[in-house]
This record gives sequence, C-alpha cells and structure tokens, in this order.
Amino acid sequence: MAEPNPAADPTQSKRVADRYLKREVLGEGTYGVVFKAIDTKTGQTVAIKKIRLAQYKEGVNFTALREIKLLKELKDPNIIELIDAFPHKGNLLLVFEFMESDLEAVIRDRNIVLSPADIKSYMQMTLKGLAYCHKKWVLHRDMKPNNLLIGADGQLKLADFGLARIFGSPDRKFTHQVFARWYRAPELLFGAKQYGSAVDVWAAACIFAELLLRRPFLQGSSDMDQLGKIFAAFGTPRLPQWPDMVYLPDYVEYEFAPAQPLRSLFPMASDDALDLLSKMFAFDPKVRISAQQASEHRYFSSVPAPTKPALLPRPPLKGESLKSRPLDFNSQEGPVVLSPPRKSRRVMLNREGLEGNHQVMNMGGVRQMGETTSHSSHVPMSVDLADLFERRSPPRPTLNSADRSHLKRKLELDLELTPNEK
Amino acid sequence: MAANFWTSSHCKQLLEPEEVDVVPSLDKEKGLTLEEFKMIKIHMTNYISRLGQQCKVRQRVVATAITYFRRVYTRKSMTEYDPLLVAPTCLYLASKAEESTVQARHVIFYIKKIPDKKYVYDLKDILEMEMKLLEALNYYLVVYHPYRALSQLLQDVGMADLTILSWSLINDSYKMDLILIYPPYMIALACIYIASVLKEKDTTAWFEELHVDMNVVKNISMEILDFYDAYKQSIPDERINAALSKLSSKP
Repeated sequence: MAEPNPAADPTQSKRVADRYLKREVLGEGTYGVVFKAIDTKTGQTVAIKKIRLAQYKEGVNFTALREIKLLKELKDPNIIELIDAFPHKGNLLLVFEFMESDLEAVIRDRNIVLSPADIKSYMQMTLKGLAYCHKKWVLHRDMKPNNLLIGADGQLKLADFGLARIFGSPDRKFTHQVFARWYRAPELLFGAKQYGSAVDVWAAACIFAELLLRRPFLQGSSDMDQLGKIFAAFGTPRLPQWPDMVYLPDYVEYEFAPAQPLRSLFPMASDDALDLLSKMFAFDPKVRISAQQASEHRYFSSVPAPTKPALLPRPPLKGESLKSRPLDFNSQEGPVVLSPPRKSRRVMLNREGLEGNHQVMNMGGVRQMGETTSHSSHVPMSVDLADLFERRSPPRPTLNSADRSHLKRKLELDLELTPNEK
Repeated sequence: MAANFWTSSHCKQLLEPEEVDVVPSLDKEKGLTLEEFKMIKIHMTNYISRLGQQCKVRQRVVATAITYFRRVYTRKSMTEYDPLLVAPTCLYLASKAEESTVQARHVIFYIKKIPDKKYVYDLKDILEMEMKLLEALNYYLVVYHPYRALSQLLQDVGMADLTILSWSLINDSYKMDLILIYPPYMIALACIYIASVLKEKDTTAWFEELHVDMNVVKNISMEILDFYDAYKQSIPDERINAALSKLSSKP
C-alpha cells in the first residue's frame, strides 16, 4: 500500500508487516527490544516495542497489556501516542511515536543552559499531561525525568505507563512500591495502600526541583533515608500539618528537624515558582495541589512566559549523526551489546562512585529511544567522565530488582481472588 | 470512573441496535439464524459466568469478559472465532485487564471441571486466541459497567433495599447486548426503574429530577422485560448443540 523505499537503505531496512521499515535497535525494554522504524504510510519515524511472547506461559505480558489498555484511552499532546499495535511472527508489536530525547538527558547535559522560561515550559507540559491523566482517572505512578520524553518538535510527553493504574474505586488497595525512590511521596514511603493522584504531583514537584537544581533533589539511599532527606529539607511534619500521617502502616516518628526556607534550597527560583513548589510539596496529600490547579498556577501566567516548545534547548541533534553513519556507532563501542547505551553510561557512572551497582534494569522500553545515538555518536567520552567525576551523585535508582519482586508480590496480593492452588 | 465515560473508547464504540443484531455473513452462509446467534451468545454468557465463579474472579471481570465476547461478534464470525474458545479466552484477558489475573493454566483447569461436552482446547489455543482477540477488539480493553453507577444512584434515591434486585437485573442484562448499545448508567437506571416498579416504590419524582431521557430508560426496561419473557425457560441443550453444529459444518 505504501511506496517502498528500498533505495534509501537496501541493506538495513526490513519490512515489518508491510508497513514499517525497520531500522536500528534503540534499546531493550522490560519486555522486549525497541527498534526504530519508518512508517511508510505516513513517512513518520516511529519506535516499535517488540513484546516477546514465546517465553511467557502467560500470553501477553501483564505490564504491556496495562500500557496498551491505558494508552488506548489517553490521547493528548503531552502523552506518548500509541500509534498502532499488531501481532507479528508470534510477537506483539507496539508502535509509538518516535521521541528524540528525554528530560533526564536535558537536565544532565551540562552544555544546556535552562532559562527560567525553559523550566516553566517543561513544567507546564509535564503538569498538563499529568492533569489529563488524572482527569481520565489514571495514575502514572512512575513519574521521573527519564519517563518524560521529548519529541523533535520540543513537545514533552509522559511515557511508560507500565506501572499506571486506573484509580476509579476509592477503596481499592494498591501497592506502595511504585516510583523510583527519589520521586516517591511521603505517604508512599510510610506504606500507604490507598492513595491518589497526589503521589504523581509529589513526583512532579521533585522533577520541578530537579530542573531548578540540575541534579536530583532528594537522593535517598533507602526508604528511611528518603524520608529523612525529605524532612531535612521541609522539616519533620507536625500533626496539624498532616493529621492522617500517624495512621499510615509504616509510620515511624522521626527526630524533629526544622524546615529550611525554600528560598535557601532554591536560590535562583522566582517567588511564584517557590509558591507553586511549596504547594506541590505539601506533606498531606489532601492538601497537596492537584495537577490541574498546578497547571493553572500564576507561575505559568507571570513573566517570563514559558518558552515555546520548538525553541527549547535540547541535547544536540542525534538524528544527524545517525543518518550519516548508521552502522558505525555500534562498532565504535566495541562488542555489540544489546543493552542501550544509556545503560552502559549508567554503569560507568556507578563505577565512579562505588563498585556495586544494582540498578541495572529500567522498567520500560520506549524511553531509551534516541538515546543510542546521543551518547555513542555525539557526547564525547572525556567530557562525560569529567562531568561525572565532579558530581559523584549516587546512581539514579530505577525500580531495582528487589523492588520489583516485591511489587510483583504485592500485585498478586492485590488480586481479589483467593489463590487456587499452592 | 464514571466521570469520564463520555471521553472513553467505550462510549465512542457504542452501536445502534441494528448494528448489533447482525449475523456475521460467514455464519449466515452456514444457515445460522439471528435467533440462534443470540442463543449461542446467551449460552456462552452463562458459561463465562460459571467459569468466572469457578476461578473466583470479581463480577466486574466476568462482566468485562462478556462485553469482550459480545464485541468480538459484532466484527468477527463464529465460524472463524469458535465461541467455545473465545469465551474462556475473554475471561482470561479480562482478568488481566481488570488487574485480577488468573493464570492461564488455572483457566484450563477450571474449564475441564465444568462437565460439558467438547471443550477440547488447551493452553496454547487460549494464548493464541488472546492475540487474535486483542486484534478483534482493536486493543480497546477499558469497559465501563452499570454496577458503580448503580450503587451511587441507589444511594442518591435512598432505596438501598432495591440493591439486590437491581444488581441481579444488571447481571442478567449481560445476556443481552445492552452493554454494547447504551451508556452503563442508563442500564443501571433501567434496572432501578424495573426494580422500583416490581417493589412498588415511587421513584417518579426522583427520575424527573435526574434530567435523563426517560424514553430511553423505559425502552431499555422494556427490552429487559421482553428478554425475561422470551427466555423464561432455559434454552434446551439440543437447540444450542444444533446451532453450534451448524457452525462446524461445511457449507
């Protein structure tokens, strides 16, 4: 149906389902390989997530199914678009719009200067996407810069809904083992099982802070430590501030720490920014501002106006180098590793600080797209390393394997059926 | 969740009654009548409910499974998609989509426990059919049901004593294609309406205040009552078997 384009790249391209010209592998997600492709029908570049089925005795992977289910309901400029899904050679292929980069890459790129207007723009898109999810009663539950993808047009989109849930029933109990730790709200750290959209707002606040500081704001090394870091910054909450806190399952009393003035934590932020930040960082989830209200906060209407997405600073174009040397970057890296370069970069980062690294796997796939080229073909190693030496920040935690097996157990507990066997 | 039904894929997929009461052409060629087509759907709806009870899933999972099942046959023929395989696979898929996963091998285990003729399918068949179902459903998996609306509405009208009756009416409504045609809260209203009439409760004023199209509510109610009339007796097995054997016959 679409005009074939073999001349462009006869050796590399492979047709998938007659419609997609397969290009290079972008990375490995939780449940399969992600590769780049050209949609011959629209000419659009897409990212295809391949969900392997053969290895599962349980048919379509649960996480993948969840993502499909939710993304089919979510259509918004600030949510990743699931363009197509189809079975292919016994696998299930999910076609997403191709995203060049992600917010983590922006935050980490030392060559990028983020103006207050730029930060405002990224935050506005984040909150709009989030407000849309919440309007549709979907909790994202894994908000972090790495999951906020950035398209060629500068639009920021929420991605990776593998942990997301519909939260329609007010009394359903959920697992609290969600979010990478640094983005986890205090109620989750205290073990809350019934929680709402406020958990995503807390995570968005952490992202806001990270944009201002250019490093993760609250880098706890354990759940206890995470709470400690939160209280060290904002003060230990007093009962009137958060009356329900003491009823949470894992509540423990923390030694009192006074709050630091927000101004001292974020010296460069405007008064409006600080006001919004303080409302998003409210301890009591009932008091915490909603994503919708946050997106309408005066911070977004005061000067400077948010930068237009197309004008936002982004990591240098990856597409360019890719076109010219599509095959080389793999050989440059030595042995061909199927894991995404992002991962190898993280491993290096770890080695700088400490030998052991356990945060190997990412939870999702799409987010790695575009990274491949950015790192391997563009970013000069030496610069990167020097940068890392300076910073020595602890490894950015994703859900580690312990978390995930815990999560899996919890999800099983969530089921309302009684176990049939065992 | 009902708050955003209007923007959901479920809402956009609602069909006209005429679009639902169509025997797929392949099945028609084999001589399947509309009556038989409906009968098989009723029979398999009952089957999904029984299997769901065996697997101890929530009513919501059963309702979603039945909705999938009925949606499939607005697009695919029973000749190509054997109802005897589609039904348990719908339950399996619905259990995942509703976050109450039942393991596929357990579904198989319970299928075999239901003493019924020729459920000859195995794990592999279910997993393969799951993929085909996803495609047939166009990957739309979120379904809204009248149950939530029901409890809210009954609370509003202050007639908690109608709960059991109207809840059962809703359960039975899945033996029809109402869920493919009407918004779930309208089905809930129709069931409350019937229940209040049967129990001689006056809900007239309450319904007037709701500002809903009472004609639609009454139409749904009539359809439900007609259905009870038509299927007072359970459908004899021979008739089901005769209809099913038409499908497996060579044209």
